[in-house]
Amino acid sequence: MKTLLVAEYRDGKVLNSTYELVAFAEKLGADSAMFLVGSDSTLPAYTGTLYLADVGKYSEFNPAVHKQLLLDVIAREQPDMVVFAHSSYGWDLAPRISLALNAAHISEVVDIVDGVPIVPVCNAKLRRAVKAKTAQMVLSLQGGAFGLENEPSGSPTVIPIDTDTAAQVEFCGYEEAEAGGVDLSKAGVIVSAGRGIGKPENLAMVEALAKALKGEYGASRPVVDSNWADHGRQVGTTGQTVSPKLYVACGISGAIQHLAGMKKSEFIVAINTDKDAPIGEVADVLVVTDLKEFVPALTEKLKNL
Amino acid sequence: MKILVCIKQVPDMESKFKLNGEGNWYDGTDLAWRMNEYDEYAVEQAVQLKDQLGDADLTVLSIGPERVKEMMKKALAMGCDRGAHIADDDFFKKDPFEIASVVAEFAKDKGFDLIFTGMQSQDRGSGQVGVLVAEMLGLPSITTIVDFAFDNGQITAKRELEGGMKAIVKTRTPALMTCQLGLNTPRYPTLPNIMKAKKKELLSIPVSELLKVEAKQETAKMYFPEKKGGGLVLEGSVGDLVDQLIKILKDKTAVLA
Amino acid sequence: MEFTREIYWNVGDGIGTLLPMYLLTFVSIAILVVIFMKRIKIYRQGQALDRLDHLPERILDMVKNVLLQSKVLRRAKGPGWAHGAFFWGFFLLFIGTCLIVVQADFTDPLFDVKFLKGNFYLLFSVVLDVAGLVAIVMLGGLFVRRYFVRPKGLETIKDDAIMHGLLFAILISGFVIEGARMAVTEMGTYLAYWSPVGLVFAKGMAGLGDESLRSVHQLTWWFHLLLVMAFIILIPYTKFRHIFTTSLNYLFADRGPTGKLVSLDMDDEEAESFGAAAITDMTWKDIFDADACTQCKRCQDRCPAYSTDKPLSPMKIVNQIGEVAFDKPQANLIETCSKDALWACTTCFACQEICPASIEHVQKIIDMRRNMVLMEGEFPGEEVMTAMEQTEVNGNPLGLGYASRGDWAEDVGVKPLSEDADVDILYFVGCYASFDKRNIKIARSFVTLCQAAGIKVGILGKEEKCCGEPMRKMGNEYLYQSLALENIELIKGYNVKKVVTTCPHCFNTLAKDYRDLGFEIEVENYTVFLEQLLNTGKLKLNSGELACTYHDSCYLGRHNNIYDAPRALIKAAGGQIVEMDKHRAEAFCCSAGGGRIMAEEKLGERINIKRVGMAVETGAPTLLSNCPFCLTMFEDGIKGANVEDKLNVKDIAEVLAERLA
Repeated sequence: MKTLLVAEYRDGKVLNSTYELVAFAEKLGADSAMFLVGSDSTLPAYTGTLYLADVGKYSEFNPAVHKQLLLDVIAREQPDMVVFAHSSYGWDLAPRISLALNAAHISEVVDIVDGVPIVPVCNAKLRRAVKAKTAQMVLSLQGGAFGLENEPSGSPTVIPIDTDTAAQVEFCGYEEAEAGGVDLSKAGVIVSAGRGIGKPENLAMVEALAKALKGEYGASRPVVDSNWADHGRQVGTTGQTVSPKLYVACGISGAIQHLAGMKKSEFIVAINTDKDAPIGEVADVLVVTDLKEFVPALTEKLKNL
Repeated sequence: MKILVCIKQVPDMESKFKLNGEGNWYDGTDLAWRMNEYDEYAVEQAVQLKDQLGDADLTVLSIGPERVKEMMKKALAMGCDRGAHIADDDFFKKDPFEIASVVAEFAKDKGFDLIFTGMQSQDRGSGQVGVLVAEMLGLPSITTIVDFAFDNGQITAKRELEGGMKAIVKTRTPALMTCQLGLNTPRYPTLPNIMKAKKKELLSIPVSELLKVEAKQETAKMYFPEKKGGGLVLEGSVGDLVDQLIKILKDKTAVLA
Repeated sequence: MEFTREIYWNVGDGIGTLLPMYLLTFVSIAILVVIFMKRIKIYRQGQALDRLDHLPERILDMVKNVLLQSKVLRRAKGPGWAHGAFFWGFFLLFIGTCLIVVQADFTDPLFDVKFLKGNFYLLFSVVLDVAGLVAIVMLGGLFVRRYFVRPKGLETIKDDAIMHGLLFAILISGFVIEGARMAVTEMGTYLAYWSPVGLVFAKGMAGLGDESLRSVHQLTWWFHLLLVMAFIILIPYTKFRHIFTTSLNYLFADRGPTGKLVSLDMDDEEAESFGAAAITDMTWKDIFDADACTQCKRCQDRCPAYSTDKPLSPMKIVNQIGEVAFDKPQANLIETCSKDALWACTTCFACQEICPASIEHVQKIIDMRRNMVLMEGEFPGEEVMTAMEQTEVNGNPLGLGYASRGDWAEDVGVKPLSEDADVDILYFVGCYASFDKRNIKIARSFVTLCQAAGIKVGILGKEEKCCGEPMRKMGNEYLYQSLALENIELIKGYNVKKVVTTCPHCFNTLAKDYRDLGFEIEVENYTVFLEQLLNTGKLKLNSGELACTYHDSCYLGRHNNIYDAPRALIKAAGGQIVEMDKHRAEAFCCSAGGGRIMAEEKLGERINIKRVGMAVETGAPTLLSNCPFCLTMFEDGIKGANVEDKLNVKDIAEVLAERLA
């Protein structure tokens, strides 16, 4: 089996999601080659063939051009699977490729069971095994679904690629996330608040618990959207993807965007009144209780340890 | 200006899901239906653009059984001018490629200057249909937009990226946009508009007239995920729960060391 | 010698007196009529509304309320009694003056009949004398209150100064006239003692000598006449107009049912506008209400929003509508009143219940909310819009899957009517008791009580939808009517005999509002229903120790006058109620009415915390409530006020179920 991994590059850096693609290929025991619109000065830690287009020439976001570059590589490599991260880059480019290849595109793959991709449905309440009816397959992988076993290493054999396709859109640069950010990805413990905290004032108890655990506090998207916490605290696909030693989800029901952003955490505790909340799917321990009583009690006890 | 908005009816995610008899989709009973959240942003953006331009013709399209008309009326009440209902009771068996083909087939001769879709549906969540439609029609597309500005054929959109960062992207009409949470706040239809919507054109077209391709993928089975191993559920009084959790944290993690 | 006095003494009863006097009177009354006609034209900017049905009862109500000052005196302290006593004093003086006119210018000259003589004259003298004194003293009291110890919120305008000044001048000049006349004609007579106040004035002036006294008398007499004419003319120009408008407002008063809103016609295809944004969208009565308002501020004093520093004063809303109607008819009512003020109302009805002028505050606020929601798609916050959308999708504002609405009843032996429709009562559960874990305890307790009393209960289960009350009160009449019609059709289809609710909001809505939509089945609140079961011996309770205080919910209390049934139940369960200062009709809202259950309370102090504070003050460890919204607010309020160690809250049904014999 042969896979072509579509690496991601943003703001001068190869994104970590790239290594999840490598982990996926390894898990499948498949051969791989890699495609990247990037720079030869920052190459991914990868052993294998890397088809590299110059980002300076083709820009970080340029779907029509990236599509053509990638199609050229696919024509050369003839992979069985073209693998993307299911990310803002991947879900934009993958359908274009699948259409051009006349191949099935299976989105947001969380697992492969007996060679059949598994995808979540309805906010991860259900799962679906999806069979491709085409020989070639395009997959986009849910962030965090295929974790890294080892620190990425190696250096690729670079094959430069070019195209003269015209752009359809013009990429004009980035707008930074609103300030006030804290680097949650480095925190050992994260205690996150969801809408279940009820009101903005209750964020304080979440913060206090985070402090008692010597960690940082985070928040779900609804909490940030309600302006109860600033964007820099947001955990999830639209915020920061985190992997602390301990993740405590307070009143977070577990929307898929959130789950995808924190499920790599080593140990997950969910505090929720709803036993059936989707967060239970990823939690190691689900404490069914009113967090407004439980969190202060836990904080108090931890302080006295 | 001619605008197409593609919307989907999805179950409310709070619904009690059950599997259907074939085990390849959820069962339709006991579900509450609503407009896909992302499609609401699409409708709102189209209506806002119409408000900005003063003159535009908005067609809203949806594929599904008879019940989707109810949701289409909401889109009409929000400000769309006409509805195209593509009648299909087996919509759930169609893959994103087929759905996109149907939409593209509908749109191909109609000269839409702009097409808005949601970035994905809340149920299937493939995130493919919008991009596929654009590709099939040969239009530029910008996905996952959280900001949209239009000026004399020039579109400036912001795409949402991971980590809260946004990419600023420009293109010209005709084009397709897929809409993400944060783009706008969908309006609540006013009563006069609800009344007017009842009289707006809402045509039904059998899907067979527009479907000319075959699926590239199919659902082998649908199932409820198993709880992750060791998923322990604690219930009881607050004091006991605190003690239990602290013990577990001590045993299983290094954070209390 | 017969007791009497010479009318027109010293001023003469010739044409020189009568002509100018009657001419002035005629002119004054003509001005009054003309100005009122102008005001009537302003009232008529409003929409038509029939308020002359049940005319005999209406007239009786008006006479009673005017003469007995019933509404003014209701739960009134000093100012209410001062107004009442002043009114009676002034009214007697008015009657006295009329009697004089009748005798002097009609019965005497035309028929030679005099009745102001003998013992009747003695009575006449003393009554009027004392009435004048009472009026002066009361007016003095009100004057001191308004200008020296003015309570917070009592708006004082030019009108008040004019009114006080004029009334003092009329009353005192009256005594001066009497005193001067008595000093000349009655000094030392027995008769003089029947005018004790006049006698004091007479003694004070006696030293002036007859000539001067006659001059003073004549001058003051004409001055007094002019003052009275000024008074008549000023009635329509100043708050004096309430003499007519407030009196008439008793005639035009809403005859209930209390708190039932006016239904909009949703089938009217011609309608282009809904709710009120322009003065012409209001009814004439809404404008008239502004004229009937005396700005006594009783509504404002009781308003839970006002007393927690929110920008709402029901009094101001009423007066702002008046300002628009009279001074700037093109202005937008909603902007004039301010959206924040309109959204702040909890429809607790405290304003309307206390209003001594029978003004209807709540419907006005709802009318303006209706315009915001139905015409602009506006809400007090996004959370409210979300709740509306959730209700459209799942039939409840909580956004929970409708199919699990009846899950709570699965293990208590209650089936949905779709499975078994042969029941004694249909329990209309409501959203909170169906979905919210805390409130499900109410539903379960109620079912336990019914079962113990041998009552077979059925529910609608997943077929039930929100009664629509919060949406309606928030102005979403369209959503309310669609929910209501579905519920009505559903309930009618099951041949239900009686509906019982544990939620006062559902109760008020089903029992009153649904009537407009063709719902006729009997609806009872659970407290009334359970009290009957108790009284007929079907429900037996153990009476254990239970120190508590009890919160009258707005929708059980002020809206439905159900104060005694819940108290009887609590007492039967051994409860000893320590009443809060504000209880029964004076009860203070929990903050959740008027659809505010769906909204965040962003402005001012928290109403629920304030109410919880009042409960804590009683020293009782348990607060009993009768409403899922109240219970929810108090559970939060107890945490918010940090009094979890002092107070817990329970629904009456929970306490009764614990004490089943």
